[in-house]
Amino acid sequence: MREPIVRGVGLAASLVYAALIAWLYASQPQTIAQVSGGLTSMVGAYRIDQQAFDDGVQFFRRDQFVEARAAFARADTAQRDARTQFYIAYSYYRQGWGRLHDDDELFHKGIEAVDRAIALAPGGRVVVEDPNLTMHSADELRLELERGVTIEPSDFNPLRVFRERK
Amino acid sequence: MTAVREAIVLPLLLLTAALVGGLHPGASTTFVPPSLFSLVLATLLVATLVRSGALDPSRLLDPSRRPLANANGAVVLASLFAAAAQVFAMLTPQAGLPLFFVDVFLFVLLVNTIVAQPDRVRMLRSLAVILGASFILKFIVLSSLGEPSGRTFRLLVALFDAATFGSIAQAPEPASVGYLAFFSAAVFLVGVALLPRTVPGGGSTSIVRR
Repeated sequence: MREPIVRGVGLAASLVYAALIAWLYASQPQTIAQVSGGLTSMVGAYRIDQQAFDDGVQFFRRDQFVEARAAFARADTAQRDARTQFYIAYSYYRQGWGRLHDDDELFHKGIEAVDRAIALAPGGRVVVEDPNLTMHSADELRLELERGVTIEPSDFNPLRVFRERK
Repeated sequence: MTAVREAIVLPLLLLTAALVGGLHPGASTTFVPPSLFSLVLATLLVATLVRSGALDPSRLLDPSRRPLANANGAVVLASLFAAAAQVFAMLTPQAGLPLFFVDVFLFVLLVNTIVAQPDRVRMLRSLAVILGASFILKFIVLSSLGEPSGRTFRLLVALFDAATFGSIAQAPEPASVGYLAFFSAAVFLVGVALLPRTVPGGGSTSIVRR
């Protein structure tokens, strides 16, 4: 093979390999599914499992949040889909919501999921037009989750027991 | 040096060493970037390689070479630096007294090697000993201290920790980390041995009839 071709191919391969390594260090994928999902989403080829997503939405609407998250996790194995991550965050909110107090652990997991959704969406804007949801944007959901894990004077208001889950 | 070695083999070896060196498998797999001190050690190592003749930068980057060849050379140098930083970070203990002493030990050793100016073969042997000793210290000696053992042993470690300004016990790591470290260090050494060396009497490899 001619030398310029060897050098050109070597340079291109080295740069791709170096970029892959830099991406691995920057994004810290935990599983092989996340690695493959991240790479396919880079070239715009990542697709969620639509059947599993629909199952997750059905579970979510029946307040079966653990089952819903299992289905959403199956649908978006690489955690690269903003809408699925939004639903996962919403399921943590609804499961952790309480009339007297909220479950901080679930709310923190919800914040992690909604942050992932915001990071994945173009421009950080996530809007889900689902009539069964009260909050349609990731910003609203994040604020509500944040409120749940911070102590405010309004937390001691007795009228708090009349508030409604969103 | 052939184009294949410069454009494909060396970047592949050195980038692989950089990739594997930062990989920490476990309950959650993480890629740990090198510490700032590892970057200092990597700089010293590159300087040592140049001074000893194990690396001739002019055979990688030179105005007389074509732009594509210079780009290949730049990739090799950048990969060498990244791999060196990652290998040092990988072979350095995580925390406490061992981290301090190993960092100081490596720093003094590399500075001493620069000053001593050994030839290429001695430099490569020295580097193998440095990496091998660091590997044994971290993954065999210190790793055994982190394992649960008898009460007397734990008491001795606690007394040592109290008498000095840092702990010697390291957080336990999966066994696979040691194997990955060994692989990474071995690949790095092979890559360093394949670097273009300084040719005595000039930068040309041609034989001149006198």
